[in-house]
Amino acid sequence: MKEPEPIVFVIDDDRMIREGLQSLIKSVGLRVETFASAQDFLVAKRPDTPACLILDVRMPGLNGLELQRKLSEANAHIPIIFITGHGDIPMSVRAIKEGAQEFLTKPVRGQDLLDAVQKAIASDRELRKERAELSEIRSRFDSLTPREKEVLDLVVTGLLNKQIADELGASELTIKTHRAHVMEKTHAESLAHLVRMAERLKAALRK
Amino acid sequence: MEATHAAPSTWRNLTRYAFAVALVALALLLSLVLEVSFGNPFWLFFPVAVIASTWFGGKGPGWVAVGLSTLVVLYYFIPPARSWNVKPRDIPFFLTFAACQVVASWLIAWRQKTEDSLRRARDELEVRVAERTAELTNANEALINQIAVQKRTEEALQIARTELARVARITTIGELTASIAHEVNQPLAAVVANADACVAWLSHQTPNLMEARAAAERTTHGATRASEVIVRIRSLINKATPEKAPVQINKVIQETAALADGQASRNGVSLFLQLQSDLPVVLGDGIQLQQVILNLVMNGIEAMSGVTGQPRQLVVRSRSEGLDQVLVSIQDCGVGIRPDIMPRLFEPFFTTRSQGMGMGLAISRSIIESHGGKLWAESTGSQGSIFQFTLPSAGGSN
Repeated sequence: MKEPEPIVFVIDDDRMIREGLQSLIKSVGLRVETFASAQDFLVAKRPDTPACLILDVRMPGLNGLELQRKLSEANAHIPIIFITGHGDIPMSVRAIKEGAQEFLTKPVRGQDLLDAVQKAIASDRELRKERAELSEIRSRFDSLTPREKEVLDLVVTGLLNKQIADELGASELTIKTHRAHVMEKTHAESLAHLVRMAERLKAALRK
Repeated sequence: MEATHAAPSTWRNLTRYAFAVALVALALLLSLVLEVSFGNPFWLFFPVAVIASTWFGGKGPGWVAVGLSTLVVLYYFIPPARSWNVKPRDIPFFLTFAACQVVASWLIAWRQKTEDSLRRARDELEVRVAERTAELTNANEALINQIAVQKRTEEALQIARTELARVARITTIGELTASIAHEVNQPLAAVVANADACVAWLSHQTPNLMEARAAAERTTHGATRASEVIVRIRSLINKATPEKAPVQINKVIQETAALADGQASRNGVSLFLQLQSDLPVVLGDGIQLQQVILNLVMNGIEAMSGVTGQPRQLVVRSRSEGLDQVLVSIQDCGVGIRPDIMPRLFEPFFTTRSQGMGMGLAISRSIIESHGGKLWAESTGSQGSIFQFTLPSAGGSN
């Protein structure tokens, strides 16, 4: 499967900066989309692809930090590179705390920005891969019957078939069959693999 | 406690009554003695005893004296003597005697009472006058204290106001700088981004000239915008040209002197005004001119802070200069201006003081120049320095 083309979003109310950044990013072969305001970005349709967002902190209407909060509330994961005219420390601390990828001051050196963009896209790619794997695992686990889920819960705690049979009041043979189904449906290559997947799912659910 | 307290008063009462009894007894004794010599019943002493008892002892002893003397007279002197019997013929006489006694005693008691209340009133009045005097003294002291406090407060207020003005100036400059920085930084950011993009497009194996050209054009555009911002700021500053109106410079000087008076007296400086009376009016902004004069006066006061052993005098003069100019000079007797700092005196941010911003003289000069005048300084060596400025008179500029 070929990976979809990554995309860089630029939001800045200053047209000339927007165009400069667009040209700069395009020059290294990345796809760019620009927006004059945070509101425009929010209503635009975003393709399902690794991406990052270059955001001016100081903007009329919804400012950069407010957009960041809105996106995180909407569970829209996208790495953000902030650009600010005045390197205000409390503001940058806040942005980083809320998960900003980078905080650069204007005027930004082209290479610094491109490095930040590459890093941000790489990290988004990682995150997307992880999320995709996780949702794959979840859909596999969801396909188990209730009885198979019961067996799974006991298997991952390390019980033997006989013990599980005693626990659930079934024959060892039945349990063996259920177990084979679980391994098959979850695409588990070994017991260890199954346990790992179950743990990962549990960890994601806890989050 | 109460018993010991009551005792003297009981004792005094007893004395008063005893005194009344004694007086009646004395009257009886005298009457009996004199009766022997004169042969006639002689009882004129009894009214005296009654009067004296009432006078000195009060109402109660008075009545006792009246009763006693009436009984004594009845017994000893109304015939038949030495008996309680009265002949019907003597009844009116006896009753008249008793009535006279009663009236005498009552009159005396009434008189006493009146005098007593009069005395009490006088005493009270004295006490009240003393109290009032004390109150007045206190009020007076409070007033004096209050005046002192007020004076101190006013001085503190003046100092705070000066400080506030200074801080406000610095804050304004700070805000202005931040805003200018943003306005200039924005196009600069565009310039950097576009220039970087241009270089990137040119660095491709096959340079993309179209993109590079577009980026270069945007670079130029950004740089132009930055310089426009600068032009705009400059015109903004120049636009602060004074609100010109006819101004009597002497009035401005007098008002300024009144403002600077507190500062001058705190620094032990005497302020003298030598103003030419028939000066032509000048066309200008009174507030700005006041700022200039105040600034020069304050500098002068400051310059004399080290002067000891001779009076600290600051003289502000005004006179007409030529046909169409007014000249104002501010002369101090401070340390003067060192020749090496003379050329830098009017430079912005140049100061010899630890707390100064170094803007006063620079701003003053730009104000005077925007009025079409000139401001300069002269050092008179050890005798201090003179700052003077000229302004075109309204008649001359028309």
